[in-house]
Amino acid sequence: MTRAAVTCAACAIAGLTLSPADGLALHAQQEPPTAWRAFDGNWSASGSRQTIPTESGRAAAVAHLSGAVVLSNGTGIAAGFTGEVVGFDDGTGVTTGRAVWTDSAGDRIFSALRGGPLQTGRRISATITGGTGRWTGITGDYAFTWQYVVSAEGGELQGRSADLRGRLRWAEGPP
Amino acid sequence: MTTTATPPAPARPAASADRRTRVARIAVVAAAVALWFVPVPDGLTPPAWRLFVLFAAAIVSVVVSAFPILTASVLAVSAAVLTGLLPPAKAYTGFANGTILLIVLAFLVARAVVLSGLGTRVGYFIVSIFGRSTLGLSYSIFLVDAVIAPAFPSNTARSGVIYPLAFSLTEAAGARPGDEGSRRIGTFLMFSGIASLSLSSALWLTAMAGNPLGAEIARTFGVDIGFTRWLLAASLPTILAMAAMPPLLAWLIRPERTATPDAPGVARRALDGLGPLTRRERIVLAVFVGMVGLWAVAATFALDSTAVAFLGLGVMLASGVLTLGDIAKEGDVLATFIWFAVLYTLSTQLNELGFMGFLGQRMAGSLAGFPVLAAGAALVVAYVLLHYMFVSQTAHTLALFGVFLEVGIKLGVPAAPLAFQLLFATNYFAAITPQGSSANLLFAESGFLSQRDLYRLGALLTAFCLVLYLTVGTLWLRVVVP
Repeated sequence: MTRAAVTCAACAIAGLTLSPADGLALHAQQEPPTAWRAFDGNWSASGSRQTIPTESGRAAAVAHLSGAVVLSNGTGIAAGFTGEVVGFDDGTGVTTGRAVWTDSAGDRIFSALRGGPLQTGRRISATITGGTGRWTGITGDYAFTWQYVVSAEGGELQGRSADLRGRLRWAEGPP
Repeated sequence: MTTTATPPAPARPAASADRRTRVARIAVVAAAVALWFVPVPDGLTPPAWRLFVLFAAAIVSVVVSAFPILTASVLAVSAAVLTGLLPPAKAYTGFANGTILLIVLAFLVARAVVLSGLGTRVGYFIVSIFGRSTLGLSYSIFLVDAVIAPAFPSNTARSGVIYPLAFSLTEAAGARPGDEGSRRIGTFLMFSGIASLSLSSALWLTAMAGNPLGAEIARTFGVDIGFTRWLLAASLPTILAMAAMPPLLAWLIRPERTATPDAPGVARRALDGLGPLTRRERIVLAVFVGMVGLWAVAATFALDSTAVAFLGLGVMLASGVLTLGDIAKEGDVLATFIWFAVLYTLSTQLNELGFMGFLGQRMAGSLAGFPVLAAGAALVVAYVLLHYMFVSQTAHTLALFGVFLEVGIKLGVPAAPLAFQLLFATNYFAAITPQGSSANLLFAESGFLSQRDLYRLGALLTAFCLVLYLTVGTLWLRVVVP
């Protein structure tokens, strides 16, 4: 019974993962090739943070997080990426960072981040600076708020944003 | 000729088992190879998908008895590194994890308790009070654990207290690993320890490291969970589960003896025969009590639980109550250290590669359109099943609790009851696999529990708790968490 249950659970997980997504609506065919396309989504990330004290009493920190970025344009899951971010908080309340989102084909979207420290409720803005493969020539921007950032024993961090919103376009249309 | 053509009868079951094992191995490896090469699902990177294939193959291969857990783990990590899925520096991070080291140290300290004779004395003492039945012994484990749990934020450290107690009880009850005439008593008491740790963690907000983190995440969704509110919400379903668990386990395991009316008297006479505490017992007792005290205040004074265990082991070695020769005999702990560190790393990397978040999103998102009550129940069931992929309750909480709570709220499920249901599940699903919580490992390596026992009993215990919390717990939450 246990064997069957575990095997079924593994098959269900694999099947659910392999089942097709609702459609990559980010590639809308009706719009002009260089039109802005809006997206929204969420980002769950885990990782670690190292800190050192500063003269102001606040800590400066570097953080490295990675996890799932799921984007949609209102019809459920439209595109998923593995999102990775490195950030630097200089201790004055300003964080800068770089992010890379990688899709299932290994194509990437790069962005530069700026905002408040890595804490619950802080807002981050980002500029999409380019991409590779199907995302070559992409530009855009997005913003999100950390819905929560919690730190576990051993320095492990977990953060989630559920209000990621932005827009993107290809300067000369999708490749 | 005749001899080789007609194998002796007793060899047939062994040959059949060998054939089954070979078939299982071929099936698991073939499935893993096929899944490795299927197109990567949208939203995942190839490393995330392929690491999932390796992890799932390792777990399934253990469950279908294709490989022992150590073999499956080391094959999985070697494949992950040699194929370039994981860089070596990341693949071996579990070997430097403090919680995993704590398990190794707690195991060695527990051996000292047994070797010194203190464990036998404690066992006789408890049997003299609760020993009229094996059920009584099981209840004594649940009682001690429930009382000390709120002072132990690390359930792994708490397992270092409960395991020597449970092991001593098995000895006092006459059970020995490998002795087929009494093995099921040991199985019963050891699994009582696993069940007790998972339920005592559900009873108290402060009894498991992931609970306060979950409460912190719940607060961002407008659900305030404090010590008293948690205790009130958890009390009825958890106490019912604790009361029902020993008879349920006894029914499932069927220990060789259940009624032992003479045992308390025998234990009292045995205690008298032991005489006063020996020097070795006094030292072990002092060190053990000191460790328990330091673990209890570890959170308050920012003490590292693993460093406390190192200190205890160091004092035992320095005082000679534990020797290098004793440690050299504990080969099982090395095997545990290796397989758990490997599975811990693979599961952690799956999370960091975005697999867990993606899967949680897909699973939760597929419930759109369900009636509210069904959606809430399905979310909890899915959350529990996903623990087959995790080797840490805290990691599971961090990766999926917020995702499931958010999706549930969007589907119209009331936030507070759902938050409590998911957080209680985070504790009782610890028993679903031996690697489901580091607190299970000492019991899993006691010699009384086979891999089959662990997965079978873990699945049944978790299913029982799931039904109990979803029914009685839901009704209770309607009363106490309006």
